[in-house]
Amino acid sequence: MRLAWLIAAVAAIAAALLATALYRSRRSDQRARARLGTTSAELERLSHAFARFAPMELVERVIASGVPTRGERKEVTVLFADLFGFTPLSESVDPSVLVRILNGYFERMSAAITAHHGHISTLIGDGILALFGAIEANPWQTDDAVRSALAMREELVAYNRELAAASLPTLRLGVGLHRGSGIAGLVGSPELMQFTVVGTVVNVAARVQALTREHDVDILITPAVQRALDPRFALRALPPRELKGIAEPVATFAVLEQAAELDPVHR
Amino acid sequence: MMLRDVEWEACALQPRHDRELEAFVREKLGAVPSAVPYFAASPWIVRALTNLGYNGAPLVGVDYALADLLGLVVSQDNSCRYCYGVQRTVMRIHGVPEARIREIEQNYLEAEIEPRTRLALDFARRISRASPLVSASDAADLRATGWETPAIRELAYLSAYNVFMNRLMTTAAIPITGVERVAGHWAVGWLAPLARLMMRRRWRHSPGTRLSPEQRSGPWSYLVCALDGLPAAGVLRTVIDQMWDSPHLTRRAKALVFAVIARGLDSSLAEREATGLIEANGLERGEIEPVLTHLSSPALDPVEAAIVPFARGTIRGRPTQLQERTRALLARLPGEQVVETVGVCALANALCRLSVVTQLE
Repeated sequence: MRLAWLIAAVAAIAAALLATALYRSRRSDQRARARLGTTSAELERLSHAFARFAPMELVERVIASGVPTRGERKEVTVLFADLFGFTPLSESVDPSVLVRILNGYFERMSAAITAHHGHISTLIGDGILALFGAIEANPWQTDDAVRSALAMREELVAYNRELAAASLPTLRLGVGLHRGSGIAGLVGSPELMQFTVVGTVVNVAARVQALTREHDVDILITPAVQRALDPRFALRALPPRELKGIAEPVATFAVLEQAAELDPVHR
Repeated sequence: MMLRDVEWEACALQPRHDRELEAFVREKLGAVPSAVPYFAASPWIVRALTNLGYNGAPLVGVDYALADLLGLVVSQDNSCRYCYGVQRTVMRIHGVPEARIREIEQNYLEAEIEPRTRLALDFARRISRASPLVSASDAADLRATGWETPAIRELAYLSAYNVFMNRLMTTAAIPITGVERVAGHWAVGWLAPLARLMMRRRWRHSPGTRLSPEQRSGPWSYLVCALDGLPAAGVLRTVIDQMWDSPHLTRRAKALVFAVIARGLDSSLAEREATGLIEANGLERGEIEPVLTHLSSPALDPVEAAIVPFARGTIRGRPTQLQERTRALLARLPGEQVVETVGVCALANALCRLSVVTQLE
């Protein structure tokens, strides 16, 4: 009789231990699943967020099999923007104020670029490298890029009014645009990757941007942009200038304004 | 992307109840979707959203469960919160466990999906993304796993149908509160067996139907004929004809919308068809190219000048971008013209992405 009780007690204890172990294992499994679910959802969210900066197919290839090294030749319009006199400004203004001014500037410029189907590839100090036609093929990329530059001009006027009202220094912008073929792909090191375009097309846009100071204008385009642009944009031809790394002198055009009928519905 | 993360603007369109139209929808679908009153100004849109789906165009070779999954995946890819909510509810009614739906929406790339099904879903996503436009070679993997041409055509059609619905609901910013409340309600799971019984008779496979000689002509007949054999072909013919005859926009304006979207997607077949229709409706060939190159021209009338750039904006973009553009268009055009434009853009986005069906042998 005593033996039977003993066996029953041992069995009950064993059952209780087993139940506890099973319960713990299930809880642990549930927690692991929940964590996995959260991570998966986060990954899904990130992949969609990244699709604003790189083609979705590329983002998915990166998720599935690591960083692809393959680049793709694409016809793009490159917009390069820089602030005049930013270095002296950065030395004369309190750092926190400077960061606030810069962030306000980037926020407005970014909105002007994305509203016209462009995407910001890189911020270099106070400079902006924006691409049109790099993520998706875009037959209207040149009109988009020039409209974007005009929107940036307009945004800066409004922002300067705000800065002046707050007794802060105002900003002056130079924008260079060039159209051509470049290699689009993920570029960088494993620690820092970005989807961008490399090639002469980017260098020329940057050099043309630098010419805005020499010509004392804010938006300059190359003949490649002018040829693809809606002829109703008002332009002013400027004399050719030598550009570093380019064999022939490059003629440029200052963008004055867009014709009234080319109104803001073009977004 | 998760349902709750998709930003969605308030709808700027005015709903209008049309009893006759709603009775038609109720008879076909068993209920009137909350989107219907917003499109009542253009009855062809309501008829299209009712008939282009399984109820009006039963499937021939593709399994209904796969078609549901395709709808979920494409709607998620297009960030259409309305269609996503609807598709979720439909799948739960069809008996798909909540956990399975969540697994797919949380991580489509890693979700356990049978390889043959995944290929079909990837094909549908590529058609929807159209970056670049899908061609016959994209169907090679499908063929290798045993997919036959008629079923591949049907997959392409289903993808285009979802593009139509996604663009329609997203561009119009149809309110999503009701749809999402139903999609997430516990009772959907409990009532699913009953709903399944009621719907089963509606969703039977069709043996296939042939187009009549009259259905083989008309705008975009090259696409309709390429789908011959599927019930969807005849339904699509009717939808295109009703859209073409709808009075709120001129035929030239509608053809311009198609041409712009065809240019944006690099669909030369669709562009050729659309430019032929533009010419037939009063714009000379020499005047068309500047419109398609710069999205504006003095040759356009004020309505066309407003809808041509708008059409371009519907090709790609986040929901809020599309919805802001619709709001801006409403400031320029009367409501019924905006509703019609939204419908024509949605149909053009679907049909221009469907060119691949003409290349499948």
